[in-house]
Amino acid sequence: MEQLSSYLQFHDVTKFFGDVPVVQQPFNLAVPAGQFVVFLGPSGCGKTTLMRMIGGLDTPSSGEILLQGMPVGAPDIRRGMVFQSYSSFPWLTVRKNIEFGMRFRRDLSAAQKKERAEYFLKLVGLTDFAKSYPSRISGGMRQRVAIARTLAADPDVLLMDEPFGALDANLREDLQFELRKIQKNSGKTTIFVTHDVEEAVFLADRIIVFGPRPARVIADVDVISLIGSERNENVRDSERFFHLRTEILHLLRGRDAKKSAAA
Amino acid sequence: MTVPASPTRRKRSSLLCFRQQVPHSASLLAALLGAAVFLGGWQLLVELRVVAPVFLPPPLKVAQTFIHMSVDGSMLPNTLVSIRRVWLAFLISALLAVPLGILMSGYRIIGATFEPMIDFIRYLPVPALVPLAIIWFGVGETTKIFLLWLGTFFQLVLMVAADMKRIPNEYFETAYTLGARPRQTLLPVALPAMLPQLMDSMRISLGWCWTYVIIAEIVASDSGLGFVIWTARRFMKTDQVMAGVIMIGLIGLVTDQCLRLLHRKLFRYQ
Repeated sequence: MEQLSSYLQFHDVTKFFGDVPVVQQPFNLAVPAGQFVVFLGPSGCGKTTLMRMIGGLDTPSSGEILLQGMPVGAPDIRRGMVFQSYSSFPWLTVRKNIEFGMRFRRDLSAAQKKERAEYFLKLVGLTDFAKSYPSRISGGMRQRVAIARTLAADPDVLLMDEPFGALDANLREDLQFELRKIQKNSGKTTIFVTHDVEEAVFLADRIIVFGPRPARVIADVDVISLIGSERNENVRDSERFFHLRTEILHLLRGRDAKKSAAA
Repeated sequence: MTVPASPTRRKRSSLLCFRQQVPHSASLLAALLGAAVFLGGWQLLVELRVVAPVFLPPPLKVAQTFIHMSVDGSMLPNTLVSIRRVWLAFLISALLAVPLGILMSGYRIIGATFEPMIDFIRYLPVPALVPLAIIWFGVGETTKIFLLWLGTFFQLVLMVAADMKRIPNEYFETAYTLGARPRQTLLPVALPAMLPQLMDSMRISLGWCWTYVIIAEIVASDSGLGFVIWTARRFMKTDQVMAGVIMIGLIGLVTDQCLRLLHRKLFRYQ
């Protein structure tokens, strides 16, 4: 039953680069459609590799990843990815970058593509910068361009590899707020990788907490049941938010494991 | 109490300041001054008869000869001949090297096939291949184009491959997850991503073409700037030799500046 209801599934996935284990213990995860899942863990813990395998950018050494019950293969338009750096194409204007997201879609006419580009420009608040090149806008805007471009492609799964990692704190919070809103409105199943606990708690419906490499899940946290699904600045300042954040921090440090919020 | 240094004093000392900016006017003045000292010293050296004018004609005489040769028709037609050879060979080189370089970097097996061979050939000095070129192609235009091509193609292929390799993987992976197949990324992603670097590589190899064209024209030619220089040498016309050399330098300077300007215009997004 669970197999049918889960949209994206890891089934006994392991990954070795040569002899080096990145994911040694078979990794299993079932993600229902529309869920915002954050992979949280220290640098080099294998969380990014797990996400890249969803995108087909790396392949499992054993096991398989199922999307709507079908094993995923080479990268395609169903699994869109947003990177931390080099996320937008510097030689294209903001609008052209977003249009690039639809370049390989045959189901849209040129007019429809134009219209959609306009829509996503507005969605991420960049209409006034449509003709600017990425080098002329801020780092936060560049990440918005990348998000809009990926959404324009209309993937089934949105994959994000520390997309806000290079931004300063205030900007990060703004973008987290916007992303959460966009994700809920679009209903896209999202996997978001980060090592920032606060970011994870603010964004996620559910957090998979990883220990140091090789990847090992130390907790699967149901964030909604703990702090609700509404996220805004008040939530960020709330007792529950602070409490959950602290608990996960302790988990990552290897203390208080018994009192963990593990589901 | 500390006394702030007077502005003039600060300004004077800041001209010789490690890794600091200097005003544009100062750079320009310094460049002019440097050139003036060089030319003045050269003129003086000859005026004082330290060196015989037949070996080292004074700069004024060289300038005179340069203008004279430009007007009397002994220089310009030959200059055009050389320019034509350089650009023809360069374009052939670029047209072949750019696709091959991209393929070599994009597909490991193609790289493995060609790279060792090219690495060997590119170290063969062009002058050493002049005899073979003459045996194969005689002393006509083909020989010159062949020699120039030989001197630039193999270098350029490797530079193009390196330019392609330098493209961040994220660009390709982004395109894949937007539905592009690897082959479909070549034109819309790889080419624009590497173009600024690529143009620099081509600018550099165009410069090499100028080195090789003179060699080719000195060895086997009855036209071109190399021929002008070599003929003048035979009659000990050092001023004409120098006028020819200066012409090459000028063409190089002008071409380079034009390409840089084009670079700035094309890649304003950077």
